[in-house]
Amino acid sequence: MSGLRDIVLTDLERAGAFDDAERTFQMTEDEFRLFYEQTARPVWIYLARMTSDDRLADDLLQEAYYRFLRTRTTFESQEHRRHYLFRIATNLVHDHRRRPRRERAGLDDSTPVDLSTDPIDMGERAVRRLDLARAMGKLKARDRSMLWLAYAQGFSHEEIARLLGLRTSSLKALLHRARQRLIALLHGSGERS
Amino acid sequence: MIRTASASHAEGCPREVEVVAMLLDRRSMRIDDEALAAHVDVCESCREVAELTRVMSADHERARREIRVPAAGQVWWRSAVRARLEAVHAAARPLTWSHGVAGACAIGLVIALIGLVWPAVQEATGWIGARALEVAPLGRAAATLMTTTLHGSVALMLVGAVFVLFAPVALYLALADE
Repeated sequence: MSGLRDIVLTDLERAGAFDDAERTFQMTEDEFRLFYEQTARPVWIYLARMTSDDRLADDLLQEAYYRFLRTRTTFESQEHRRHYLFRIATNLVHDHRRRPRRERAGLDDSTPVDLSTDPIDMGERAVRRLDLARAMGKLKARDRSMLWLAYAQGFSHEEIARLLGLRTSSLKALLHRARQRLIALLHGSGERS
Repeated sequence: MIRTASASHAEGCPREVEVVAMLLDRRSMRIDDEALAAHVDVCESCREVAELTRVMSADHERARREIRVPAAGQVWWRSAVRARLEAVHAAARPLTWSHGVAGACAIGLVIALIGLVWPAVQEATGWIGARALEVAPLGRAAATLMTTTLHGSVALMLVGAVFVLFAPVALYLALADE
């Protein structure tokens, strides 16, 4: 299968199909591979947690990297690149949310959360994860992004503010309120279960 | 499990950042700094932050181990194909415009040519009619009919020919974007 893909790729390359495309990208394929290995998983998880839809996360991941490759922004560091990629991912999620409901799937409180049958995932951890997914699903998109970037990805307040287009001074209060809401939801779902 | 911090400050505690950094840096999810750990014990806001960080980063780590993202080469390949297609599409856009302009110029040229040639065509049909009368006086009626028909229908025929010639071009231009 991979052999077939290689043949197709080689043929297209021979025909010069990728020459122009690669010229418009802001990094070489080798640089991209390295950057992708470092960032793809965190970005995918971020997209999946923001949309509650794994398949959509796959699509948005591809779109995020495509937009990233086409950007003409000059990056000062690897961190700057990573933040830019997360900004693209955030914008994609928000764009998706703005689409009419019939065009999008997921983001529904009733969306079943994928609980694997692995015995390790059973018990309290699974319940906690389910609680977290449900509680996150009830938050506003911006609150979800803020909380995830702060407490799962470890972004600084300044970075989150830049990424979400907020003022750093107001971010602390917004983050605090979002945290209170999430805790209240987790507390509530914990009592019910 | 997690308690609501009703009495915490509106913006939380200034040491929250340290708590998050320590928990995320050390994947054991324990606060090893004794002073910070003591602070977390007494600060409700930091305790909440620590709990949320533990829950969310544990979810993140679990997902990180379990998920399968597409290969880098696949993402690169798809991006390259798409960039190529978009480049081709972008390059075709000015061509569509130039096709439109060329089509309009050709139609104008044909109309101008018809205008130029039209007197000569009228003259020729008159001459043919006169010749026909001279050669075959008996076919006068037929010759008159032919001359009248030619005078009346040549314009229509020419217009029809123009439509037949340019209809495919017009169709192509109309459907080019699809």
